Amino acid sequence: MSPLTITTRYVAIGPVLEITGDLDHYTAPELRTAVESLTLAAGQLLVLDLARLDFCDSSGISALISARNLATEQGAGIALAAVPANTARILGIVGLDRVFPIHDDVAAVTAAGSSDPSRRKKIV
Amino acid sequence: MMCRTAQEPEPGDKHDADVTDAVFTSLLEDSAEELYEQAPCGYLSTLMDGTIAKINTTLLDWLGLDRSRVVGRMRFADLLSVGGKLYHETHFAPLLQMQGEVSGIAMDIKTAGGRRMPVLVTSKVKTTQDGEPLLIRTTVFDARDRRAYETELLRGRQAAEEARRRSEADRARLQEALAVLQQSLLPAELPVVPGLEAGSYYHTASPDLLGGDFYDLFPVDGGRWAFFLGDVCGKGPQAAAVTSLTRYTLRAAALHDADPVTVLTTLNTVLYERYQSGEGRYCTTIFGVLEPQDGRVGVHLASGGHPSALIQRADGSADFLPTPGGLLVGVLPQAPFVANRTDLLPGDTLLLYTDGLTEARIGPERALYGEDALRAFTAGQPPAGPQALITALSGLLASFGEGLDDDTALLALGVPAPILTANEDMT
Repeated sequence: MSPLTITTRYVAIGPVLEITGDLDHYTAPELRTAVESLTLAAGQLLVLDLARLDFCDSSGISALISARNLATEQGAGIALAAVPANTARILGIVGLDRVFPIHDDVAAVTAAGSSDPSRRKKIV
Repeated sequence: MMCRTAQEPEPGDKHDADVTDAVFTSLLEDSAEELYEQAPCGYLSTLMDGTIAKINTTLLDWLGLDRSRVVGRMRFADLLSVGGKLYHETHFAPLLQMQGEVSGIAMDIKTAGGRRMPVLVTSKVKTTQDGEPLLIRTTVFDARDRRAYETELLRGRQAAEEARRRSEADRARLQEALAVLQQSLLPAELPVVPGLEAGSYYHTASPDLLGGDFYDLFPVDGGRWAFFLGDVCGKGPQAAAVTSLTRYTLRAAALHDADPVTVLTTLNTVLYERYQSGEGRYCTTIFGVLEPQDGRVGVHLASGGHPSALIQRADGSADFLPTPGGLLVGVLPQAPFVANRTDLLPGDTLLLYTDGLTEARIGPERALYGEDALRAFTAGQPPAGPQALITALSGLLASFGEGLDDDTALLALGVPAPILTANEDMT
């Protein structure tokens, strides 16, 4: 068990949330709060950097979807970066690998470069 | 603090030290009488029958009495409260007589104003050189602050104990309510389906958190039966509410049109719209229809983000019935669901499970148990029908110990193998 910390930084395409620790039943509301407190402009891309995510259960998956919904409501897009293998496997089982654009790391998201959600290939 | 040690002082310091001592003595106490009268505790001396012979001003002030009314006229016991008097007579005085001294006894003295004052009493008998008791010397310490502190401590402890008792009772009541609610999310017992055997198992990970796993088996139409098994994301009462909504939506949708993709699409619409604003609620589900005919059972099922069903064949093999690409139910307004079909022949068993089983962590490395291990385990079991498979799997779950930290539901459906007997042709 490790606590959840979320740090926010802003890059050209939009905010990047670096999520460290466990995303579970007890900590998932913190991600929602963090996303709600963001200033997201239409056309921006919210990037969730999961490189240091230790654990993600079904409550954590729900929180990722909540983040996506909050971004979508504001006309912004969302992408996941550096998804750990175990979480990537679970996203595949539940079909979310075709809902979230997934990139190797934050740099790859920036390189993909588009802040226009309609240009992203993987969105369903 | 002045602290003289036994160490011999330096020769040059001797005179200075004596002068210092004299100054301190004069500053501290000008007389022993003054010390006796104004001491920060009460002093009194009584004759052996208790009659007060001498008493200091401090104690007289506490009592609010004149020396003239006390000395030679009152006994020590007269200064005590009723309870104090009794205690003095039954315990204090006899102990003093036996031991010659009694130390630190808590009693109440009564003051002239009628109030009681808690004190700590120490008495010592003074004897003559022959050992004959002569008088009793007594000190009386003010214990008001101490008593208040003790009372506060006691009250604090009682409050803490009461709170603990109440919280334990609340916890027991809550767990009972949760257990009842959890059971209401599952069928009390599976129905008897002609030509089919069914078995199920539910493992609860935490008695404090309602799990979100569910399953059901029920008739639809024309001899067909429907089944489902799924897992709501999250835990607790909110997840249980979704479980309940999901269960009844699937049942109602199946009665209307039992096509698996249609049923899952209906559930998707209901969950998506119900939880569209605010925090979403999602579930993975496999829903299917069973159609018994000619000694076999046709299975038509679809999955929304749920791990593929596993089939244990009568020949001892075990294979998944793949349904990849279906989406977690309730995420998007239109979602893809993937269907598949198979036939269950006599001796075949269809197994549905939630990912508590496959996501369990095993061994010291906490390695993922995984789907391949589940397939291998199932292939290693004799094809003896759903009940036997459920029994084997519940044993497997138990063997995971703490590595199994999620709720797990199992549902097995199979066509019984013919019972081969010598007189089979006659029956």
